Amino acid sequence: MSVWLRDRSPALQWIEVEGLLHDFEVWTLAAEDTGEVPLDVVLVEPAREFSDLYRLVDVRAGRDVRVSIPAKPGFLKAVRLAASLGLPVRLLPGQPAGEVLDELQEALAFYLRDSMVEAPIEFFHSALAWLNGASTGSLWRVLEKDPAVYQRDTVDVTRSQPSNLGIDPSEDFGAVFLGRLITSGAECASCPWCHFCAGYFKWPDPDYSCTGVKLLFSALRAAVDEIEDDLSAFETQSAGSQSSL
Amino acid sequence: MNRRVFSVILLPTSDCNVACEYCFERKDKHRLSTKLLPLLTSRLLDHLENEGIMECEVYWQGGEAMMMGPEWFVAAGRLMECAAAQRGRHFIHYLQTNLISYSESWNEVLRTMFQGSLGTSMDFPNDHRKLFNGSAEAYTRLWTRKLRAAQAAGIKVGVIAVLHQGSLEAGPEKFYQYFTEELGLTDFQVNTPFPGGPAGEVEGAFQLETSELAAFLASLFDIWVERGFEAGVSLGPFDALIDHFTGRPARLPCIWKENCSNQFISIDSKGTVAQCDCWVTSYPESFFGNIFREPDLTRMLRTSPARRQFVERPRHLVEHEDCLSCRYLSICHGGCPVRTYTALGTMMAKDPYCEVYKAVFGRAEAHGRTISRRNVDRSRLRTMALDET
Repeated sequence: MSVWLRDRSPALQWIEVEGLLHDFEVWTLAAEDTGEVPLDVVLVEPAREFSDLYRLVDVRAGRDVRVSIPAKPGFLKAVRLAASLGLPVRLLPGQPAGEVLDELQEALAFYLRDSMVEAPIEFFHSALAWLNGASTGSLWRVLEKDPAVYQRDTVDVTRSQPSNLGIDPSEDFGAVFLGRLITSGAECASCPWCHFCAGYFKWPDPDYSCTGVKLLFSALRAAVDEIEDDLSAFETQSAGSQSSL
Repeated sequence: MNRRVFSVILLPTSDCNVACEYCFERKDKHRLSTKLLPLLTSRLLDHLENEGIMECEVYWQGGEAMMMGPEWFVAAGRLMECAAAQRGRHFIHYLQTNLISYSESWNEVLRTMFQGSLGTSMDFPNDHRKLFNGSAEAYTRLWTRKLRAAQAAGIKVGVIAVLHQGSLEAGPEKFYQYFTEELGLTDFQVNTPFPGGPAGEVEGAFQLETSELAAFLASLFDIWVERGFEAGVSLGPFDALIDHFTGRPARLPCIWKENCSNQFISIDSKGTVAQCDCWVTSYPESFFGNIFREPDLTRMLRTSPARRQFVERPRHLVEHEDCLSCRYLSICHGGCPVRTYTALGTMMAKDPYCEVYKAVFGRAEAHGRTISRRNVDRSRLRTMALDET
């Protein structure tokens, strides 16, 4: 990794590091380097690796560091610690089921309510922005899994993101993929979140039931409504104080 | 540019001119020689280069640092700054002293080397700080006279107060009045005691009951917010906590850092390197090495088994204590290793003052919220006033 950290090539936009978090020496050396190229540290088994996030404290002082966390059982420990260290998080939900869905609900509540959270936790952060009217692009883009934008030349590329599935790279991958799902009769046709999600949760298994995932989006919608209510209450209160001046 | 801050708590002597009952340090008349200071400086600068750090804060403490005399500091400051400048680095110096040796002969070096400021210590009531063969009252009288003289000379003085049972009995109101009204201070901080070093047995008798201590600190916090916060009185660590909870950059005290091992070391007059002054003066089993005998400080810090314990402590705590589920983890990380070690004989546990810290954090959070709302209201009123004009 030292070689990559010293690479000053303008084409190098970030370095994705997977499977090294346990290595004390790697991060001690990495902390001695500074640079513009950010690191994306990908956890493999978050429930086991979470405490190793402390190794990134010094590295973060020299360059931007983000943590990517797969939503596997126990992942919330890693989310909590990353947040407490001020590290931005990219949560990789896959097609969550059972206890992982429950944990995602907990993670969302943590993101929305806990004062400890200062850095973004994706995909919640962009979903909240999208619900507020921001142009975030689809969930494929937000989670950097859009094959038209993020090409991965790895041994096992299908493990983490789809190939282009025959979709022309010049086309909007998410829109075309969603169109195909709707044509095939998937539940996306009636889903209020389909323009943001763009069928993300229907890959790789198109028959995956989105019931639990929709609850996450509903919770985000409720939070947006709550913020809007609070803001308008504040406006009313302020107008009241102005007129009484 | 590496944004890391590196600090060195440098003890030019562990000799002292007073006899405080709860001092955790082992006294030693040895003094840092100006002949060895270039070597120490050079090794510090090597380390800064290795770590890509441009600036190093040097906290001069003791023992009693002023026992070295002002001329010694003039020479030391000049030597260090010259060596640092040659390597494109910079030292910032701070002085912590009991003030007992202060005289006007210190003013010049205080102004040139220490930005016209110093840190000192006093408790309220002062029951345990004593002169050799003298009473606590005599100490207080002498210290107060020296404080007045330093203030009159335009030296900015910050005071650290260690809480003890007498403070809790006096109550936060009298405590606050003493420092702000009687002494006229605008910058002081409260520290929690710990039974370390040779004073352990004595100080063990001064262990404070946590709920009583928490209540004291919470009330003191309220008093400061009500009277001191907007009047420009800085009371640590409350001021840093308010910064944190109002969204401003906060420099929290070392006890609440993600990992104090990343932030500083302490070096005594013989070159012993340890985590902080508490460790270097009291616990030989935790020494990292000797800066005069080992040519590479970076390597010493990287390979020291004693230091590894400090580095690994926060990891251990989130795995084995309840810290991960604590809503204040981001501003505490399990607290202070030395407070833990002195109380429990191991640093691999959370700080025994956990409940006290939680009470203080809760208070800070509530006050922070109120202050933020008030700031928003004021900002809107200002905007409305501008609109009207």
